[in-house]
Amino acid sequence: MFPRPIEKSTPAARVAYKTLLPVALLFWLLPLLAVAVFSVKPDADFTSGNYWGWPSSFEALNNYGKVFFASDMPRYLLNSVLITVPTVIGAVALSTMTGFALGIYKFRGNLLIFFMFIAGNFVPFQILMVPVRDLTLEMGLYNTKTGLVLFHIAFQTGFCTLFMRNFIRALPFELIEAARVEGVSEIRIFRYVVLPLMRPAIAALSVLIFTFIWNDYFWAVVLTQGAESQPVTAGITSFNAQYRAAYHLMSAGSIVAALPPVLMFFLMQRHFIAGLTLGAVK
Amino acid sequence: MTKTLRGAFAALACSTLLASPALAELTGDLKIFLDTSNPAPRATMEKMIADFQEAHPDLNIETTVIDREAYKTQIRNFLTANAPDVANWYAANRMKPFVDAGLFEDVSDLWAEAEIADNLASTKGAMTIDGKQWGVPYTYYQWGVYYRKDIYDDLGLSEPTDWDSFKANCQAIVDSGKACFTIGTKYLWTAGGWFDYLNMRTNGFDFHMALAAGEVSWEDERVKQTFANWRELIDMGAFIDNHQTYSWQEALPFMVQGDAAGYLMGNFAVAPLREAGLTDDQLDFYQFPAINPDVELAEDAPTDTFHIPANATNKEAAREFLRFVVSADVQTEINNGKNLGQLPVNAASMVDDDKFLNEGFKMLSSNSPGGVAQFWDRDAPAEMAKVSMEGFQEFMVKPDNLDRILAKLERARQRIYK
Repeated sequence: MFPRPIEKSTPAARVAYKTLLPVALLFWLLPLLAVAVFSVKPDADFTSGNYWGWPSSFEALNNYGKVFFASDMPRYLLNSVLITVPTVIGAVALSTMTGFALGIYKFRGNLLIFFMFIAGNFVPFQILMVPVRDLTLEMGLYNTKTGLVLFHIAFQTGFCTLFMRNFIRALPFELIEAARVEGVSEIRIFRYVVLPLMRPAIAALSVLIFTFIWNDYFWAVVLTQGAESQPVTAGITSFNAQYRAAYHLMSAGSIVAALPPVLMFFLMQRHFIAGLTLGAVK
Repeated sequence: MTKTLRGAFAALACSTLLASPALAELTGDLKIFLDTSNPAPRATMEKMIADFQEAHPDLNIETTVIDREAYKTQIRNFLTANAPDVANWYAANRMKPFVDAGLFEDVSDLWAEAEIADNLASTKGAMTIDGKQWGVPYTYYQWGVYYRKDIYDDLGLSEPTDWDSFKANCQAIVDSGKACFTIGTKYLWTAGGWFDYLNMRTNGFDFHMALAAGEVSWEDERVKQTFANWRELIDMGAFIDNHQTYSWQEALPFMVQGDAAGYLMGNFAVAPLREAGLTDDQLDFYQFPAINPDVELAEDAPTDTFHIPANATNKEAAREFLRFVVSADVQTEINNGKNLGQLPVNAASMVDDDKFLNEGFKMLSSNSPGGVAQFWDRDAPAEMAKVSMEGFQEFMVKPDNLDRILAKLERARQRIYK
């Protein structure tokens, strides 16, 4: 069941493992490496077919300079932040409350409501494309950051509620009962007893939702158009000019766009792994 | 210095305006919608509009630039609901839905003016539907064969003048171990370019347009002749292998590395080829030669246009703006290498000192008597263009399937043009 430590296998197997691992790793990372290398190549390298070779000249400053100063990229990055941060705050705030309600109170229909939150996760989001687009259009939210944020909050709250409810269920119920005996109001129990205990869950969930939303491409394309509202994932395609795709700038842009989630991951690695396992086991 | 010159011009313009009372000083609002969202074309357009503003200080011009892709969907909305006074778009079949729906203003009166009638003759056909003109062009570019002159020289070849020398050249190049033409048909449209030329050279411009309009059967013998000509090239090994996996840009390296000697493409291919290190001594251009000597030469030259929406409010100012856009000086300015880098539509304009622009301008102004096509996916309705270009791609990979492909296209024609 559990993988045996590699030290316990035969020497031959160990050697094979140690030689094959870097090779597999290299193959696995090859596309990413290609993007990274392309981001410092001049455009001409693409046209002359120099896809994998040494760059004919190093254009890192030039390419990244263009991304930051001669394109709408800063605007798109700002949009991404303005979409991701409110979504994280909104979804996490709502789901701590729903999680509290569903995890602590026993009332009729509790399980049914909980299942409805979960069921939302099983709807393939692609089938929502047309109705959601029409909805935002009618509400006058099409092509606005607000529309995107509201939809993301609504859609992510399902998963977050599952996560939070299970976490709150795992808390010792005696704490809440003790507070009730002391005559603490329910809202103060939530604020002063439960919320401090939920800190690790909130941190883990925030990191998770941040990467989800930052990397979202589908809804960005469906619900927004143009530099005034699109996040960076969709904005990268703006390097496609009328006739030509500027692959070197798209590569540089992709690297820039990928940095915040990567940074987030390294800074919050502990929470991230906790987040992935937290919801799964219970 | 320029200021005073402009002042003098303005004074001159005022005096002529005074002379003709019909053209009073323009006032009111002029709303202009543009899709030139890429930085360079955007700057060009904004400069041009600023010049127009300077000539008409009492006019309140309001310019809106919309993302190029978004514009394609929004135009349906704003032409009906919230029409600007001027909007840009594309010629020929691409403007037909709006013309048919009565959303574009008939500007035949502009085309009747001597200045426009004489100098814009080459694009008149592309702006004409039902015998009337529905807008004016502002830029276009040529298509043709871009080739490696150094490879031709090595093999002792010269630019072909007819179909036989075209094929003989190709055979010589194939025998030397190279492909005659690079092409990337992954996104289909490049095959549409080949079909345009082969069909226009085999059956002529009018037949080609009739086919695009759904008036001719795809199983017609004349269409089959076009494909037979195409097949000669395919069987010869003229095209690079596995072209269905490349985009048009991914097909460029074959030309740069010398594995392919030519590329049937639009003039926008020149810039990346130059950047990749090909000099003007290595790179050259020729017009696609005649196949059937009985039909007149016709060219592909996709044209971008300005229109006046039928619901516009300030049509008088809009007409004046259209006159301004197509005037020889403005055309020279906006199409030069610093701006759009394409061809002016006005025959009295100057072209930049660029080998390819010069050849293209000469070709389109004087050696395209048959007409100017807009490119297959602009001339044919979108749905037919898609189905047929898939067919062209399949044909280029599996030429034996031709009968099945043509039968499928004919069924699509019956359905689409109902």
